[in-house]
Amino acid sequence: MSGEIDRSWRDPELLAKALPSVILQTGFFLAPLLMTMALTFQRTKNFQLTWTWSLETWTDIFTKPHYWTILGHTLFMAITCVVLCLLIAFPVAYALATRLRAYQNHVKVLITFAFLTDATLKTFGWVLFLDKNGAANYIARLTGFEGDAVNILFTDWATMLGMVYNLLSFAIFTIYLSIDAIDRSLILAAYDAGASKFRAFWEVTLPLARPGIWAASVLIFLLAVGVFLEPKVLGGGKSPMSAELIRQTFETRVNWPLGAALTLVLMVVAVFIVLLFNRIYSLKRHMGPI
Amino acid sequence: MAYPTPTPWLNARAEARLANVLLYGATAAVLIFFYIPIFTLIAFSFQEGRYPTLPFEGVSLKWYAALFQNSSAGDALYNSTVIAVVATLFATVIGSAAAIVAVRYRFRFRIPFTGLSAAPLAFPQLLLGIVLLLWFSVLGRTFNFNTGIVTAIIGHVVYITPFAMVIVAVQVFNFDATLEDAARDCGATTVEVYRYVTLPLLWPGIFSAGIFAFLLSWGNFYLTYSLAGSTRTLPTFVFSGIATGSSPLYPAIATVVFIPGILLVILADRIRRKG
Amino acid sequence: MAGNILEIRDLRKNFGAYQALKGVSLDVAQGEFIALVGPSGCGKTTLLKHIAGFEEPNSGSIAIDGQQMLGVPAAARPTSMVFQKLALFPHMTVADNIGFPLKLRKVDAATIAKRVMAMIELMQLKPEYLSRFPRQLSGGEQQRVALARSMISEPKLLLLDEPLSALDVKLKKVLQAELKRLHRSVGVTFVHVTHDLEEAIMLADRICVMRAGEILQMGGPNDIYYRPADSFVAGFIGDTNLIPVEIAENNASGAMLRAPGLHATDPRVPAGFVAADLGTGPALLMVRPELMSPLVPGESADFSIEVTITEVFCKGGTVQFRSIMADGAPVIFELPGASRQPADIGDKVRLGWPKRDIYVFREKVAA
Repeated sequence: MSGEIDRSWRDPELLAKALPSVILQTGFFLAPLLMTMALTFQRTKNFQLTWTWSLETWTDIFTKPHYWTILGHTLFMAITCVVLCLLIAFPVAYALATRLRAYQNHVKVLITFAFLTDATLKTFGWVLFLDKNGAANYIARLTGFEGDAVNILFTDWATMLGMVYNLLSFAIFTIYLSIDAIDRSLILAAYDAGASKFRAFWEVTLPLARPGIWAASVLIFLLAVGVFLEPKVLGGGKSPMSAELIRQTFETRVNWPLGAALTLVLMVVAVFIVLLFNRIYSLKRHMGPI
Repeated sequence: MAYPTPTPWLNARAEARLANVLLYGATAAVLIFFYIPIFTLIAFSFQEGRYPTLPFEGVSLKWYAALFQNSSAGDALYNSTVIAVVATLFATVIGSAAAIVAVRYRFRFRIPFTGLSAAPLAFPQLLLGIVLLLWFSVLGRTFNFNTGIVTAIIGHVVYITPFAMVIVAVQVFNFDATLEDAARDCGATTVEVYRYVTLPLLWPGIFSAGIFAFLLSWGNFYLTYSLAGSTRTLPTFVFSGIATGSSPLYPAIATVVFIPGILLVILADRIRRKG
Repeated sequence: MAGNILEIRDLRKNFGAYQALKGVSLDVAQGEFIALVGPSGCGKTTLLKHIAGFEEPNSGSIAIDGQQMLGVPAAARPTSMVFQKLALFPHMTVADNIGFPLKLRKVDAATIAKRVMAMIELMQLKPEYLSRFPRQLSGGEQQRVALARSMISEPKLLLLDEPLSALDVKLKKVLQAELKRLHRSVGVTFVHVTHDLEEAIMLADRICVMRAGEILQMGGPNDIYYRPADSFVAGFIGDTNLIPVEIAENNASGAMLRAPGLHATDPRVPAGFVAADLGTGPALLMVRPELMSPLVPGESADFSIEVTITEVFCKGGTVQFRSIMADGAPVIFELPGASRQPADIGDKVRLGWPKRDIYVFREKVAA
C-alpha cells in the first residue's frame, strides 16, 4: 500500500528522522556491546578491573563444565517454554482472529493490560498464589483436597509457569497478527474444494500462519534464555539459569570480564540455535515435508 | 464420472462444536491464567493481618494508609512517574521518526538501519541492563558520574524505542503515500504536509506507541534495577520488599502500580475505536 | 488560438538503467483537452508526474504558461492533479477536503466556504455531503469531490491520472460525460492519462499515443481511429482488419497495390490514403469492420474480398461477423442490427468497400 520513496541516505529530511535512533542505538546499545566483548579479554585483581589483555577468562569458561551445565539447563528451559507458549497461544490467537467477533476488543485489552503490567509484580503475585499458605492451597482445601495439594513453589515447575506466564502474550499477539492477515477467501476456497473445517485449517490456515509462529518462537526463545526473575523468585534460586549466574558474577563476585564473557556465550549460543532452526526450517521448505 | 465427496473424519457439526469448545475454552483459560496473580495481589492488599496468608483476618485499607505514610514508597512513585514520562517522550518521538524512515524510504543503508534500530527488541532485558551498566560504569569513571535517574531513563529509551518504532511502523505501512503527493499538489509545503496529513493520519499509531511506551517504562524492573543506582521506582521497591520478607504493603503498592495501566489501556482502546 | 499553455521539450527520464521517457516533446494549447494514451509502462503516468512536479527529469524542459518549471516543487506549480485512487484525505470532511488548497493559500474561512459551495454546485453534489467523510460517499461521489478539490484553486492545468479506471462501466460513462461538460464549462486545460483509447477518443480534442517512453502518434480522434500510425495504434482500439499487401510503386501521385485474394477495380491508391513515410514493399491495408458491406451478386466495389463466416455476435445495435478469407486470414465486419440476420455461419459472402475508407501503412514504425 505504502509507496516507497527512493532517497539518498544523505538526504537531510531522512537524516533528521534516522539519526536520533542511530545515535541512540549506537551509543547505548552497539558501543556497550562492543565494549563488553573487549572486557572479556581483561583481567581482574582484588575485585578491580585492570586493563590488561589476557585470555584468562576464556580459558576459565572453556575448562569449567559448571558454566555449560547451567547453559544447557537454560536452553532446555527456554525451548520447553517456547513449545508450551506456542501450544497455548495458538488456539487463543486463532479464536481472537476468527471467533469472538463482539468480544474481540475486550479480550485484546485484557491481554494487553496483563502483558504491560510489570513482570516483577505479577511474579510476586504468583508467589502469593502458590505459597503453602497461599490462595491456591486455600482454594484446594475449600474444594476438598487434603493438606498442601499445590506444592510447586521453589521448583523448576514454578519457574516454567512464571516464564510461560510472562512470555505468552508475545506469542498470542505475533500469531494473531499472522492469522488475521490470511485472506478469508482462501479458506472459503478450501471449503469449496471439499475440505472439512479441520482440513482447511490444517492445509491452509496453519501453513499460512507459519511466519507468525516462527517469529513468535524466535522472540520467546531469545527472551527466555535471559530470564532472571522467575528462577530467582518462583524457582527459589535453587537451579540457577544463565542470567542469574551472570548477575551473580557481576554483583557478588565482581568479576566483570567473566560476567561479560558469560553474557556473550549465552547470546552467541542463543543466536546460533535460532540460525540452526532457521536453516532446518528453510531446508524443509525447499525439500518438501520430510 | 463424478468424484465422491470427500469424507471428513468427523461430521461437520461435531467438528464445529469441538473447535468452539477448544477455542473458547483456551481463551477463557488463558484469561483466567493471566489474571490469577493480578487478582491475588489486589485481594491481598486489602488484608487486615500482618502476613499475606489466607484466610484473611479481616478486610481493611490500612496498608494503603501505611503506603501513603511511607515516604520511600512516595519517592518510588515519584521516580517511576518522572522516568516513565521522560522515557515515553523520547522513545515515541525517536521511534516514530525511525518507523517512517524504515518503512517509507528506500535508501542505501536501509537494512542496517532497521536492524540496528530494532535490535534491542530481541535482547534479554537483564543482559541489556548489565551491558549498559558496564558502559555507564566505564563512562562514569572517565566523566565522573554515578548511575541514577538519568542513566535509568537512557536505558528505558534504548529498550522502549524499538517497541514504539514497530507499533508506528504498522501504521506507516498502511498509510497511502499518494495522500502526501495530493497534499503537495494542493500547495502544501513539507511542514504543512506533515502537519495536515502525515501526522493526523499516523496519530493513532503514535498515540498507542506512547501508551505502550509509558506502561513498559512505568512497570519496568530489569533495567531500572541495573541502571538506577540507588534510585528506587515502584517495581524495584517491591522487589526489595519481597527479598526482605513480605507484608501486605507490597500487594498494596502493586495495586497502585496497576491503576494508570488500566486507565491508559482503556483510554487507548476508546480512542482507537473512535478513530 | 491562444498561446501554448504547456510546452515540453525533449524530456528524458531514467530510473536506473530503465529509460522511462526517451525524449518527449509536446505542445498543448490553452483550453485543450489532451489525452495521453498507451499500455501500462509506456511512460504516460511518468510524463504526467513530471508535469505535476512529482518527478524531476534527467534532461529536457517543461514550461507552463511560459514559465520554466524545472526545480519548481509540485506545491508551487499552477497544476492540479486528480489521482488514480483519488487520494481524498480520510480524516477530513468533504468540505475540508475541497477547501484544503485554499486553506494552504491562507484564504479566509468565509471565502473558502463560499468557493466550496460553488464547487459543490458545479459538481452537482448535495450540500449535506459537506460534513461527511469521504468513506461515507459512493465511488462516483468521491470522484466528484476529488475533481472539486483539484479545481477549487483554479489551476491552469488539470492533470487526470486514470481517475475513472476503477469505476464500473455505467458510472464511467456518466463521469466521462461529466468531464466533458466540465471541460467545456470551465475552460481549463485538461491533460488526461488513460489506458482506454475509446475513452480518449470520446473525450479528447487531441490524443497522444505513447509506447515505451516515446510519443508514437499525436492527432485528433479521427486521425487516431482512421489514420493510425501503425498496427499497434490500429489494434489499440476496437476491432480492425489489416490485410497484407505489397506496394509495387509509390510516388507523389499515389501507390500501386498488389494482394492475393483482394479484388480491386483500380489498384492505384491516391497519396492521401497512404502513410507519408511508406516506401515500397510489404504493407498493411486497414479497413474498419463497420465500413465493409456485403455485395449482392453482380455488384462491384473499389475493393472486394470473398470470405466464409465462422462466428456471429449480436452486439445490440450492430451485428459482428467473424470470417476467414480463402487463405485463412481473419476478417471482421459489422452490420447494423436487424430483426432478421442477413447471413449465418458457413455462408460465403463477398465484401466490398470504397477506396476512401482504406488506409495503407507499414506494420510498425520506429517512433
